[in-house]
Amino acid sequence: MRVNSRVGSFPVFFVLCGLLLVALTLEVSLGPIGISPGKIISATLAYFQGSRGADAVVMGAIRWPRALVAALVGGSLAATGAVLQAIFRNPMADPGIIGVSSGGSLGAVAVIQLGWSQAGIWVTPVAAFLTGLLTVWVIYRLATVQGRTALYALLLAGVALGSLASALMSLLLSLAPLETMQQILFWLMGGLDDSSWPVAGILAGVTLVGGGFYFWLAPALDVLSLGEEQAEGVGVSLQRMKQLALFASAMVVGTCVSATGVIGFVGLIVPHLLRHWVGPSHRRLLPASALGGASLLLLADVVGRMALQPVEINVGIVTSCLGAPFFLYLLRRRTTGTQGG
Amino acid sequence: MELQVADADYGTILQQASGTWQGGQVVGLLGPNGAGKSTLLRLLAGLWRPSHGRVTLNGQDLRNLTSRQRALQIAYLPQELPEDIAYTVKEFVEMGMYAKRGLWGGLSATHRRLVPEALDSLNLGRYMNTPMASLSGGERQRAGLARCLVQGSPIFLLDEPTANLDLYHQLDILNRLGTFAREGYLVVLAIHDLEMAARFCTTLVLLANGKILVQGEPSKVLTEQRVVEVFGVPVRRFRDPYGDFIRFSFLQGELKSQASAVIRRLEEWV
Repeated sequence: MRVNSRVGSFPVFFVLCGLLLVALTLEVSLGPIGISPGKIISATLAYFQGSRGADAVVMGAIRWPRALVAALVGGSLAATGAVLQAIFRNPMADPGIIGVSSGGSLGAVAVIQLGWSQAGIWVTPVAAFLTGLLTVWVIYRLATVQGRTALYALLLAGVALGSLASALMSLLLSLAPLETMQQILFWLMGGLDDSSWPVAGILAGVTLVGGGFYFWLAPALDVLSLGEEQAEGVGVSLQRMKQLALFASAMVVGTCVSATGVIGFVGLIVPHLLRHWVGPSHRRLLPASALGGASLLLLADVVGRMALQPVEINVGIVTSCLGAPFFLYLLRRRTTGTQGG
Repeated sequence: MELQVADADYGTILQQASGTWQGGQVVGLLGPNGAGKSTLLRLLAGLWRPSHGRVTLNGQDLRNLTSRQRALQIAYLPQELPEDIAYTVKEFVEMGMYAKRGLWGGLSATHRRLVPEALDSLNLGRYMNTPMASLSGGERQRAGLARCLVQGSPIFLLDEPTANLDLYHQLDILNRLGTFAREGYLVVLAIHDLEMAARFCTTLVLLANGKILVQGEPSKVLTEQRVVEVFGVPVRRFRDPYGDFIRFSFLQGELKSQASAVIRRLEEWV
C-alpha cells in the first residue's frame, strides 16, 4: 500500500471552521430563551449599544461569554493534548496526566476554601496557574536524573501526584461549609456557569500566548516523534524543549481549569481523531485540534443544557460521558484494524 | 574538519577509545555484534557523553556545543528508523533541516529545493508524498540518508547504512560516500561486510569487546589472523582477479574453538 490516506489540509480546515460556526450559533441561540440564529447579530449589537432588552442581555451578558469561554477552553485543552502527546510520544497523554489539571484545581479549591477568591477575579486563575505549575515542576524534578528526564517516570509521577491532589481536594471538600462545598463541587465537575467577559478576556490572552508558543514548538514536536536520539541528532535541544512545553501547558491548562474546573477527554480525543485526517505534522494538527476542541466543547455544552431541560448538566460530565465510550470505540477500532492487516 | 576521540570510556561498553579522523576520510567501524561500534558512533555524535575522556570537533569539546551547533556540523543516522513513522517521505526528510529553520520555523526556498534533489539522487523521487510507514526497509534507509544529505553537515556518522540495501544500492551509497569524502566530508560508518569495507573505506577501525584493537589502512587492518581472532571465522584473503580489491574466502562450518587448528592446518598445507 503506497497511498496517502490523508485528506488535504484545505477541506479539513474548511469543515472545521464550518463546524465551529455551527456550534457557536447553536450555543448562543439555544436555551430557555430561544433566540433565532437570524437575530444573533442584532441582539448582540443591541447589547453593546446599551439596550437592556431580554434578548440583548441574554445574548451579550450570558451566552456570548459562555460560548467564548467554552470555545477557548476546548481549543486550548485539545491543542495542549496534542503537544503533550508529542512530548510523551504516547497517544494516551492528555492535560490530566501531568497533574496540571488536578494540581490547578487543588489551588483553585484551596483559594475558595480560604475565602481569598473574593479578593478579585484574577485570584483564582493565578492560584490555579501557580499550583498547576508547581505540580508540573515537582513532577519534572522527580523524573529528572542527571539532567535527563525519563518520560515514563514523568508519567508515573504525574499519575501519583494527580491522585494526591485529588485526595487533598476531597479532604478540603469534607471540611468545607455547605456554601463553599457547592463552589468546590463545581470545580470537580467542570462547568461553564462562571463565564463572564473578564474571564473570557483572561483566557483569550493566555490562549493566544500559549498557542503561539505551541506553534513555535511544532517543528521540534514533529522531529521528536522519531525518538529522542534522532531529535537531538538534528539539533533539538531536548531538555530545554521539554521544560518550555511543560511550562506552557501548565500556564494554559491552569488558566482553563481556573475558569471551568476540570474538563476531561477533550485533550485526549480531539488530537487523536484529527491526526487521521490532517496527518501528524503539528503545523496542521495544532490549529486543527484547537478548532475541533472548541467545537466539541461548545456542542457538549449545548447537549448539557438542552438534554434534560430545565436541569442543566455540567459540561465536564457531558464530555466524559461522550468521550470515554468514544475513546474506547476508537481504541477498539484501531486494534482490530491493525490485527486485520 | 577534525573529529577526535581521546581515551573515551562509556561504562564497560566502550573503553579507552582513541582516534583522530579528518575530512576526506571514509572511516569504517568493523567488529562483531556488541563490539561497541554503535556506542562509538553515538559518542562521536555527541548524543552520549563519555564517562571518561572526551570527544572534540576541531579542538572543541562536543559538550560545549548546543544541539543546534552540533547538528550543523554532524549528521547522524541510527541503525534503525522506527517502522511506524506517520509522516510523508518529504516531511521526514525536511526534519533533517531542523537546525536551519528560522525563528518561526520556516524554511527558505533554497532549503526546500534540497529535499526533492536529495530524494531524486537516492531514487526516491516518486515517493515524495508517500507515508514513511509504507516504504520497505531499504527505502526507509535511503530516506534516512536523504535526511542526512539535506542536513548539509560536513561530517556523516552512519550506523550500518547499507544493512537493509540490495547490492545495487549498497554500491551506490558507498560510492556516493566516497565522493563526499573526496569533496572534503568526513564519513564514519559502521559496516559488517568486510569486503565492502576494505574496498570503499580509506581507514578501518577494528573493535572487539568494547576496545579498539587496531586502526589504519584496510589492507593492514584486515589480516587473516585478525579476522579469525575477532570474528571467529577462519578466512583466506586474496586479491580480486578483476581489480585491486581485498577478497575473503570464508571457510565454512568451522567454529571459533576450531579456528586456530584450521589455520595451523592451512599453513602446513600452503
